[in-house]
Amino acid sequence: MTISIPTTVIIMVLGLIGIGIYALLTTRHLIKVIVALQLLVKGAMLALVLAGRLTGQEELGQSLAITVIIADTIVAVIGMALAVQVRRVIGTLDLRSLTSLRR
Amino acid sequence: MFHVLIAAAALVCAIQAVRAARLLLSALWLAGASALVALEMYLLGAPEIAVIELSVGAGLVTVLFVFAINLTGEENLDARCTIPRPLSWILLFGASALLLIFILPGINQSETGQVYATFREIFWEDRQLDTLLQILMILAGVLGVLGLLSDQKTDLSPTQKDRKA
Amino acid sequence: MAEPLILLTVGLPWLGALLCLAAGDRHPRLQHTLAVSFSVAAGIAALLLIPFGYERPLVTLPIGGAFGDFTFSPDGLGVFLAAVATVIGSLAVIFSVDYMRGEAQLGRYYAFVLFFIGAMVGLVLTTNLLLMFVFWEITALTSYALISFHNDDPKAVAGGIKALIITQFGGLGLLIGALVLFAHTGSYDILAVFANPGLLPSGALAWMAFGCLAAAAAKSAQFPFQTWLPDAMEAPTPISALIHAATMVNAGVYLLARFFPAFEGVPGWREAVMAVGMLSALLAAVMAIVATDLKRVLAYSTVSQLGYMVYAVGAGGVFAAQFHLLSHSVFKALLFLGAGAVIHSVGTRDMRQMGGLDKKMPFVRLVFVIGALALAGLPVLNGFWSKELILEVGLEHGNPLWMLIVMLVVSGLTAFYTFRMVWLVFYGQPRTELHAHDAGLAMKVALAPLALGTLTTWLLAGSFSRLLSESLPAHRIAALPTGEILLEVLTAPVTLIALLLIGLGLAAWWQRERLPGVGRALAGLGKAAANSFGFEAVNRAVVAVTQDSAEKLRSTQTGMLSWNVAYLVAALIVVLAILALGVGLP
Repeated sequence: MTISIPTTVIIMVLGLIGIGIYALLTTRHLIKVIVALQLLVKGAMLALVLAGRLTGQEELGQSLAITVIIADTIVAVIGMALAVQVRRVIGTLDLRSLTSLRR
Repeated sequence: MFHVLIAAAALVCAIQAVRAARLLLSALWLAGASALVALEMYLLGAPEIAVIELSVGAGLVTVLFVFAINLTGEENLDARCTIPRPLSWILLFGASALLLIFILPGINQSETGQVYATFREIFWEDRQLDTLLQILMILAGVLGVLGLLSDQKTDLSPTQKDRKA
Repeated sequence: MAEPLILLTVGLPWLGALLCLAAGDRHPRLQHTLAVSFSVAAGIAALLLIPFGYERPLVTLPIGGAFGDFTFSPDGLGVFLAAVATVIGSLAVIFSVDYMRGEAQLGRYYAFVLFFIGAMVGLVLTTNLLLMFVFWEITALTSYALISFHNDDPKAVAGGIKALIITQFGGLGLLIGALVLFAHTGSYDILAVFANPGLLPSGALAWMAFGCLAAAAAKSAQFPFQTWLPDAMEAPTPISALIHAATMVNAGVYLLARFFPAFEGVPGWREAVMAVGMLSALLAAVMAIVATDLKRVLAYSTVSQLGYMVYAVGAGGVFAAQFHLLSHSVFKALLFLGAGAVIHSVGTRDMRQMGGLDKKMPFVRLVFVIGALALAGLPVLNGFWSKELILEVGLEHGNPLWMLIVMLVVSGLTAFYTFRMVWLVFYGQPRTELHAHDAGLAMKVALAPLALGTLTTWLLAGSFSRLLSESLPAHRIAALPTGEILLEVLTAPVTLIALLLIGLGLAAWWQRERLPGVGRALAGLGKAAANSFGFEAVNRAVVAVTQDSAEKLRSTQTGMLSWNVAYLVAALIVVLAILALGVGLP
């Protein structure tokens, strides 16, 4: 049976987002968290482009997707700068030890 | 058919990125997933975005990861996770199933409407607010990185003890 | 022209807040300069906005339609309060230059003060109910932050948290009102409600009306929420002058006045408003008589005068209420800033330790006495004209007469505690050895315009009533020239009775040595008053319950990413399930 293109892409989108969220649920390393966030955002971008394609407004979909790319790149950059600082100050990148704000 | 292959390959790359033991391998699998997603977007009729995603997602971000991993060093954490795995599976499958039920029936009608405007016009005119916000975000990112990676002097001055109410 | 002015009036203080924070605590002089210049600029912008009150242009910022557009309508009510907020704000900031000299963390202080001023202006100028709620909450947040400014002092922190929790309960009322409006009309625009009173079904309108009454009562420290304001006096005195006397507590009165034409038809609403105002005025006046802390007396007097304003709105006199709001902002800010000068120089707030300061602080004594005479309601000062207008309104529109009699008695009590306060602080023999010096230059610069205002703002009565009546057609305010208003006040019989009672209050204080019997009889009442007639216990219980339940719920905040994402996904499942069951699958 042939699966239509939109269905394939939707399964791809949900798969990427699902894998990203699964990683967020189960990982303990800060850099893996950033990897997971990147996967999430790729899924979201793909969904935007698909929506643009389905309504015939590809250009609008692309404009929105550019915003998403820039936002997620900035998040990755700052996340990694934070990771470097955390390693310097606290000494470990384990998420469980980043609880100094919690009394 | 081609799309199914790309989707499957991208999902495999993503799973490997999450499961990889070494961080560098994780970053490389992520680059692979980015490239495949970029290819898919090109096939869906969004060439500009595909190019940007390829260069930023598969290029810039991977370089950043390598840089950060070098700076922080490898660290092996055991695989015990804070949430029991069955719970994660249940949550994910529940959410995905509900989402699929909502989305799939309506997905297959496609209108090929007329082209409203070119990408350039939409980007610079209709979505001007977006462009402004993107520039602000980039500035914020630069400031953030500069602030985080500089050497800071601690500046803690206590409030005066004898203050008058 | 109105749009950039509105954006300037809201945006300049916020920009100043950011710059003060960015200047850093190593450059206090720069921070002082920035704060003063930005607040004065905002004051000028607000004053320039006043002529636009006649035309009422509708300024709209399209945001995308999900929450309605951000509309601002500078009508008479709004521009007047915006001018009060920014002008008195700039005077309080100028006063802070001397008062906070040498304090640490000035950036935090000025940032919050300027942030508050901008939010207050936005609150009174907007016509989008949701945006009004957002600004309302911003003022509550900055008020809490400033009350607890000295956050190493547990009393200040406790006062701040109490103020926050109690005003938040009121804020719920406003949110309910906004949601009811949205549910029935699909938009948050309040002008639509005024244009078409039948827009909301009467049940929904009653919910909105009483929700707004609860919000106003909590914000303006009215009965039964009146205990947070005296505890908020732990804030630095310029903050007490600005936020807790001249602007934020007026937000409640503003809310009632703005919505008056929509709610006056709701059965029982006007009576409830009048009862709330009257009870607050009475209880607070009694509590002020027995208080010994200078700022607490002023706090109770604020509650009492706000009770007058709330009573006036309920009685149908929106102009009288706003006129008294103008007078009260000016003279109460003057009194607070004067008290601040006294406290700053002698170092204590207890009036029993003061006395005989009139020789050492002549300038402060002069302005303080002017403010006190206005509070008591003596003729020529602005407090007299506005208070008499309120009492006259109590006679019209078929309002209950017994409430008016209570308000008259309260004005006598006001005179009593005012004279007590002035005498204890400035006259008589010094009770303890205190080092006192007169006010510094910045304090004088701040106090002088306020004293001048107290002597003269009543001259604006005519133009003010014209502004209100032309820009608020739904409120049915009559525009009268100044001379006629003054004549009306002077020739009303209520005025005579009020003056008589004020004289009685004055005489009672002077002759208090001769009335020991009365003193003993009232001693029991005094003890009850010191405990705020039991409301303190209620409010403290509410605060304690809130904090306890918050502590217990803290165990769900694990601080770990995995749990937070799990909660997110679970919430998504719940939302989707509700949609699937409620709306039906596609």
